[in-house]
Amino acid sequence: MILKVADFFIGTFSGALIAKVVSYISPPFMPMLTGGLIGMALALSLKIALMPVFGAFEVMIPVSITGMIVGMSSGMLSNIVASNIVITSGALTGFIVATTIHFSNKNLTTK
Amino acid sequence: MSKQSYDGVAKVFDYFAVGDMRRWGPSQRFLFKNLKGRILYIGIGTGQEIVNFPPGLNIIAADLSIEMLKRSDKRVKNYSGKIHRCQMDAETTAFADNTFDTVVTVCTLCTVNQAVSCLQEIKRVLKRDGELLMFEHVLSKNPVYALVLKMMSIITKYLQGTHLDRNTVANIEKAGFKIHSHKNVYLDIVKALRAHYSAE
Repeated sequence: MILKVADFFIGTFSGALIAKVVSYISPPFMPMLTGGLIGMALALSLKIALMPVFGAFEVMIPVSITGMIVGMSSGMLSNIVASNIVITSGALTGFIVATTIHFSNKNLTTK
Repeated sequence: MSKQSYDGVAKVFDYFAVGDMRRWGPSQRFLFKNLKGRILYIGIGTGQEIVNFPPGLNIIAADLSIEMLKRSDKRVKNYSGKIHRCQMDAETTAFADNTFDTVVTVCTLCTVNQAVSCLQEIKRVLKRDGELLMFEHVLSKNPVYALVLKMMSIITKYLQGTHLDRNTVANIEKAGFKIHSHKNVYLDIVKALRAHYSAE
């Protein structure tokens, strides 16, 4: 049960953190691509930090997907809207990714 | 990956696998609950799965790395059955044909150099009416998950010698086994599989 709650926390936390870093850097050149690359690099560090506690695949899959999506979207948004909105949208995206994977897992493991 | 490299991985192996053991314990206990006869455990590593074995079994465990085997000391001693460990390559074991009733692998087929030749070796040492139990991770059929696994595999191959992009289910059948029980443990990536000798 605790680990299931942790899955949603991992998604939301990694989304918010990646959005915060990307919005702070606010890439001026090719923001979508640069944001995506920063997001993927951050996701890699997060995976190494979280995998020993929460499990390799349960961290690897959501954090990788969140890193790519949030990095790209935050790169684009960081030059347009306030950083609070970027961070909130990053956290929300991370939560949606975690929820999607949760139901995908439920579907695949009950077959 | 060489034996020396696995010896190096042994130092951090337990640290990185703590989360996995927490997640996979119940599924492993369910897979192993009917273990019987002469058992060969390929790729014991540091012996993290020993706690999930039923008590009182007589197991022969093999691993390529002496450092991994050394780190399994405490878990082997705490087990309420017999575990005899030996250092050997999973692709060329020293056992005679048709020796074991059950062969167990846990995240082994992702790490050996040639998965199919390892499975053929398992088939050789397994009795005709024996059973192969596998707790393995495989490449997902979902293209998004598969992309993540392929990208991560570039790093894990180099750091740990672990291939995340192997189609283990197809390899099992290629080696001449028939899968009779197939359960997804996490998405369609981590699987608990039971196979036996295929007559075909």
